Amino acid sequence: MSTPLVLLPSDEVPRDHLPANNSNPLRLGPGLRILSQPSSKSADSKHVLTATQAGLLTTDAKKNTVSLLSFPNRRYIPTVNDFVIAQIHHSSADFFHCMVTPHTAHALLGQLSFEGASKKTRPMLKQGELVYARVLSVGVGAGAEVELTCVSPSTGKAEGGMGPLAGGMVFDISTGMAGRLIRANSSSAETDEIEGLVVLSELGKKLESSGGFELAVGRNGKVWVNCSDSEENAIRATVAIGRCLQETDQKNLHPHDQKKLVTKILREMKLA
Amino acid sequence: MSKEAQLSIAERDFILEALREDVRLDGRQPDQFRPMDITFGEEYGHVKLQLGKTSLIVRISAEVTKPREERPFDGLFNINMELSSMGSPAWENGRSNDLEASATNTLDRVIRHSNALDTESLCIIKGVSCWSIRADVHVIDYDGNLTDAACIAIMTGLQHFRRPDAVVKDGRVIVYGVEERVPVALNITHKPLSITFNTFNDSKHVIVDATLKEEQASEGDLVIGINSAGELCYMSKIEGSPINPMVIVNKTSVAWDKVKELNLIIDKVLRTDLAKRAKVGMADESRAENDRLVATE
Repeated sequence: MSTPLVLLPSDEVPRDHLPANNSNPLRLGPGLRILSQPSSKSADSKHVLTATQAGLLTTDAKKNTVSLLSFPNRRYIPTVNDFVIAQIHHSSADFFHCMVTPHTAHALLGQLSFEGASKKTRPMLKQGELVYARVLSVGVGAGAEVELTCVSPSTGKAEGGMGPLAGGMVFDISTGMAGRLIRANSSSAETDEIEGLVVLSELGKKLESSGGFELAVGRNGKVWVNCSDSEENAIRATVAIGRCLQETDQKNLHPHDQKKLVTKILREMKLA
Repeated sequence: MSKEAQLSIAERDFILEALREDVRLDGRQPDQFRPMDITFGEEYGHVKLQLGKTSLIVRISAEVTKPREERPFDGLFNINMELSSMGSPAWENGRSNDLEASATNTLDRVIRHSNALDTESLCIIKGVSCWSIRADVHVIDYDGNLTDAACIAIMTGLQHFRRPDAVVKDGRVIVYGVEERVPVALNITHKPLSITFNTFNDSKHVIVDATLKEEQASEGDLVIGINSAGELCYMSKIEGSPINPMVIVNKTSVAWDKVKELNLIIDKVLRTDLAKRAKVGMADESRAENDRLVATE
């Protein structure tokens, strides 16, 4: 493990920090861009990786990925393949115009990019409804349009719970917290400890008996929580989960404090 | 974009549904304010207020000017509030919006028109010179309940502020610097504050200190300006759905309780800060005296 490296926008990524595995193509995460510098002398043009945001360089030798871990309170910049929670603003003939982050240009979501959607069966979404979608493309240059999709391009299926979100409640969290939640969820218990995020598993344990909950994390700093299975406790459970996540985020709590927080809030909301 | 981003259907429905069970998103009671933190800057009348995530800075300043011709015995007092895009991306610089208009109006009516600051005490020479007191409100972050937060901060600032001492000698006004003479506190006649209520579900549920999301989901609001003695100085129900008169009567007494509670907090922070300043001030003074002694020798 090399020393931590902090990059600023336009900084080049030094070659010795890249994973040495050459069998697979290197995959770039958010915050990095490849620039090719055609050299005049020989055919082997030089590729340079540059940072487009400020952040900590992180590499994963196993998956052969390199990405930039930005600071947690950053505003969200769409990156291809990110899961986001978008709100429908209005619809036109071919697209739903969605709000990914407030006060930015709308993202486009095709009317037919839902699982099994045809002209007749496409969902009729109203203004203000929410969808869980994936960023399909972000375009290049100024004024580029961000496009979203609710199906996986390769399989045509709605993987990972993509599609309209009905009911429940959305809570705002920082983009850094959203990233942590996604990482803590996708990997094993080992990284769970590194990330120090035990709030979700703790909530899951405590709320399992009363019906559990559904959760969707959007990279744009939103979490959708639904507890419709827990019947009369549904609303209090939802609020409790939202408060636990937001407080963990704002106070940057340690795992030990997160457990205490969960116990405290569940008792306050009369759930434990 | 000059409009606040709209609330999604899910959020609106959930907030309303939760209030039916008397649950708020941050676990507060309907009549509970968010945690409030008041700090002071180095100078008198520089107040920073943090109410939940709503955060603002108030600066009180004074200068000597000519009084208005029709009111030669009165000094001037103005409240300035501009919503710049620093506070929220929904606000545009140099363009006023509805929120700014209503908040400024409420502040004017609650603090200025109720004569919380005795403007006659600001007169120096009749018709010739008087003090002009100015309160500038800068919004740093906006998460609902701007009016009440600004009101608390301005009232704290007015009680904290000390203007330079001025005397009239042979028809001429002499203003002493803060170092020369102990600056003078403003004459506060009473301490009114505004309390904003937001109503939901046909005014069945009424809450104080709404966050931005709660404000967006609410169907109407009711602003009550009242002082610690229970004297009502402002009440407005400008827009939104109607409210049951009994609710207004009940909530007026809630507002009174809240104002008493808030004024106690303000008094406490003011006492602590002034005690701290007195200590530092005395230390400074003794040092200055020593300097002078050395100089004369």
